[in-house]
Amino acid sequence: MSNVEQPRPGEVELKVGFPGHYETRKFQVPEGDAPPWDANTKFTVVGSDEPRVDGVMKASGRAKYSYDVTFKGILYGMILRSPVARGKLTGLELDEARSMPGVAAVLALKELGNKVRFVGDEIAAVAAPTLDQCRDAIEKIRATYESEAHNVDFLSAEDGPLVDDSGEYTEPWAEDSGMEKALAESKVQLTGTYRTEVQTHSSLETHGAVAKWNGADLELWASTQATFGVRGEIAQAMQAAKVKCDSVTLHAEFVGGGFGSKFSGGAETRAVALLAHATQTPVKLMLDRFEEHTCTGNRPASLMHIRAGLSADGILTAWDWRSFGGCGHNGGGGGVAMPNHFLNTAKKRTTHKDIATDTDPARPMRAPGHPQGFFGAELFLDELAAKAGIDPLELRRKNDQQPIRQAQYTLGSETFGWQAGRNPKPGSPMPGDDARYLRGVGMATARWGTLGSHGGRTPHAALCRIHQDGGVETRNGAQDIGVGNKTMMAILTAEELGIPVANVKAVMGHTSDPSGPASGGSTTTPSIAPAVRLAAYQAKLELGKLAAKHLDISEDKITWAGGKIGADGKWLTFAEACKLIGPNPIEARGQRFPNYKGEPIENGVCGVQFAEVLVDTWTGLVKVTRMLALQDCGVVIAKKTAESQVLGAMIQGISYALYEQRLMDKRSGRMLNGDFLRYKVIGSIDMPPMQAILQTVFNGHSNTSAAGLGEPPSVAAPAAIANAVFNAIGVAVRHLPITPDKVLRALNQRGGN
Amino acid sequence: MKPFTYILPRSLPEAATAAARKGAQLKAAGIDLIDRMKERIETPSEVVNLLSLKGELSYIKSERDSGLRIGALTTLNDLELDAALGAAQFGALREAAGRTATPLVRNRATIVGNLLQVTRCWYLRSAAFGCLHGKKGPACLAMTGENRYHSVMGYFDCVRVHPSNLAPALLALDAEFTSQLGDRQSRRKLSELFPKEARAMLAEHTLLPGEIVTAIHVPAQPANARSAYRESREKLSFDWATTACAARIVVEGGKIRTATLVLGAVAPVPMPMPEAAKLLIGEAPSDELFQKVANAAYQSAVPLSQNVYKVQVGKAVVRETLHAITR
Repeated sequence: MSNVEQPRPGEVELKVGFPGHYETRKFQVPEGDAPPWDANTKFTVVGSDEPRVDGVMKASGRAKYSYDVTFKGILYGMILRSPVARGKLTGLELDEARSMPGVAAVLALKELGNKVRFVGDEIAAVAAPTLDQCRDAIEKIRATYESEAHNVDFLSAEDGPLVDDSGEYTEPWAEDSGMEKALAESKVQLTGTYRTEVQTHSSLETHGAVAKWNGADLELWASTQATFGVRGEIAQAMQAAKVKCDSVTLHAEFVGGGFGSKFSGGAETRAVALLAHATQTPVKLMLDRFEEHTCTGNRPASLMHIRAGLSADGILTAWDWRSFGGCGHNGGGGGVAMPNHFLNTAKKRTTHKDIATDTDPARPMRAPGHPQGFFGAELFLDELAAKAGIDPLELRRKNDQQPIRQAQYTLGSETFGWQAGRNPKPGSPMPGDDARYLRGVGMATARWGTLGSHGGRTPHAALCRIHQDGGVETRNGAQDIGVGNKTMMAILTAEELGIPVANVKAVMGHTSDPSGPASGGSTTTPSIAPAVRLAAYQAKLELGKLAAKHLDISEDKITWAGGKIGADGKWLTFAEACKLIGPNPIEARGQRFPNYKGEPIENGVCGVQFAEVLVDTWTGLVKVTRMLALQDCGVVIAKKTAESQVLGAMIQGISYALYEQRLMDKRSGRMLNGDFLRYKVIGSIDMPPMQAILQTVFNGHSNTSAAGLGEPPSVAAPAAIANAVFNAIGVAVRHLPITPDKVLRALNQRGGN
Repeated sequence: MKPFTYILPRSLPEAATAAARKGAQLKAAGIDLIDRMKERIETPSEVVNLLSLKGELSYIKSERDSGLRIGALTTLNDLELDAALGAAQFGALREAAGRTATPLVRNRATIVGNLLQVTRCWYLRSAAFGCLHGKKGPACLAMTGENRYHSVMGYFDCVRVHPSNLAPALLALDAEFTSQLGDRQSRRKLSELFPKEARAMLAEHTLLPGEIVTAIHVPAQPANARSAYRESREKLSFDWATTACAARIVVEGGKIRTATLVLGAVAPVPMPMPEAAKLLIGEAPSDELFQKVANAAYQSAVPLSQNVYKVQVGKAVVRETLHAITR
């Protein structure tokens, strides 16, 4: 970084865009913000290959997750869960459990007469010195239920979609003469039904918390993706104990994944707070893997029925879509997102209906609705392209007006080798391949939209401290759920102060620090990055004042260059300048201002992914053999962790496309594969060589132009893989996951195997 | 799990005495047992940890007749990497060991532990269900329930599958086992380790209470024998086989002279297929022949509501195994 410019509130011109597409646009920068970066900014560490700041701690086991927190004399908590899928609690005898050896507390979580809504619904909680004593006590609780008929399959629900033996949705379309006309006038038409199954979040660290009361104050270590939200939730839940937010401190310094399932503390966090209060002893309650699979939400199932028409020149002219979400007992959260960006002039109609079943409710999961909706829509597009005799990439180029994705189509097809990779005769082996194996490539697009926010009613903020020994802290109370936010904070601070990243300590996850967002919607980085940068900038100004006084030059002349501070031949190193600080550190707060008024290049991020598969026609096994992602995330701050996010999303996308599905016992309503033996998650041998190309886009909406990245790369992967399978075998497998049985059915249907 | 007395025997006779006590349960690596104890579907009062005899029971020895004697506590990793198993005749055993689970499991899991696993049927292995095989219910729940990974043949009143992937390989190699019951030792055909009729009420194996398998014998194989093991899965990393096949073949003068063929993961017990293997005898190896044999191997298959695919996949695995041997 060069000169310290004074903030220039008001209208500024910024060079925005991305390589090959730069332009100058005007934005309103609020008073008090740091001068915004743009495409002219020369960076030292932003966008470089700095390693994850807590990587060694994590790899060596020194990072302490909530699961690892313990205290002398700690008790364990466990929850009794309903074995019936639907009904009412009619009896609850806790006394025998209370008298069991070691049992410190037994609490009812439901009252008699309360509804029981799924297998796993929480009934009571116990605390005891060991998990085995908890289990013994749980077995002595006598709970009785009045059970009702249940249903755990949304296709069997009374209001569920009716499908025939081939899996096609059979209801006639609602009348719409405009749609019928648009379809009739199109040159090529297609209709199809697409389905996806329930996917569980499968975070490595299960839900739960450790609770410890210090007098009237509660300290919680929780595996959460919303430190402030959960603090408020627990304070509210403990109102009877006269608890308010100011007496609850929550820590989530390391979190083993969340993927959308950890916004609420849930029954487990409320239970552990209550158990610790009742026993006045620290209590740990972390769910086991079965509970994690069955009681902490999921990506719901879906069914999509699509028909569309294509004009003679390959433009989508009609798009008729109806979808269903296969949800939990609350009948919500099953929304399916459709790629709107191909439907510019098409006559369009969409309807959606969520169907309730007697299971654990859906929770947001990494790009809610998108992997399922893009799978249906983009596989449909490839089938439509095949029917029209058009290259599927060409079909997308023609119908997509987004310049960032257009650039990604070009770069992606060149880098991946689209033309050479396509199977010219789907269903036949590629030249040089063993006749047993069919190869194919596919691609799909992604969009995800937000550029973060200032926090709504109350703005987010970050803290930067510079100490006299040269140590620098950057702090925010939101959580890093594993994605790399701390690395991002350290890099931004190092960039602003002109010091090595290793000299910055980034701390997150304590509600005693300035507020930050819940980790949802890929908004954490775009929301807090501008505040982090501003805090560092403000701290820098303070340090500049001390330096100016010491060097006897005027403050406005102070320049920062090559790690030195000063002007006119009078220079201090950063360390020398820090010595001017007294025992109290420089402490500067950076506020997150609202996104700038003005038109950003894109109000979200764009992506395209390519996949190649090899299908074993004998056994039906699909192997992904290589993948490429092109992803925009605004300005790339921490390149390694950003790439890691994209690669992780591709891995999770393969897993969703090929392996993962919740399997239920319909009679009992209980999940059968609630473990990692039968709930199949991708392993290392199943992972192909993968490449992630990040595109820096200066959107111009904040002082850092950072956009979100957690969710967008998970949107395209399953669709790209399904399209590759279609290109390989010549038949679309319209139902995820693409397991061997489905591949063989498709091949048998094609015949000639 | 429930509290239990943990016994570390100092000798095989001591282990045998301990194992004979009521409520005692033998443990090798514990990979299967500990899961069942945690789920509380197994609540032994005593656990006899055979690993304290590892020095005595972990070995791979070449016998004078070029057969192998393998100690019961030999790990799968040892089987995969031992030079004695490098010969083409033992390919099936080496491959089966090398494909099991994950490297972490293979470093610990033992040959006999693998053979004596309890079925992975999701109804049996959950304390929430009571089924006939677990002796806690009146019927097989998978028969009419969720059965995509269950049996397609050889079942009666229980459609569990036998989970061992070493069993088909060892059966194809005509293996035998030595066991200790009290102070008596006996050596029998490995096929006698599994029930002849896989009824729900029978265990996965035929051992008597307190009986300890101490060694597996892989006899000298016919001259020029080659063997192979293949399995189908839903993913390549840690997964249970959906079907498996092991075979041993001798080809001389371009014709197959002897053949054994055993299927795994398709029935409550490993399934030797002598009739299908017989079709190979006297024939020259060819894809057409192998497909014919695969069809014969699955001729008796009666798949359940959700596992029809296993028949097609299983035939492919037979075909692939035979190709792998004769390639």
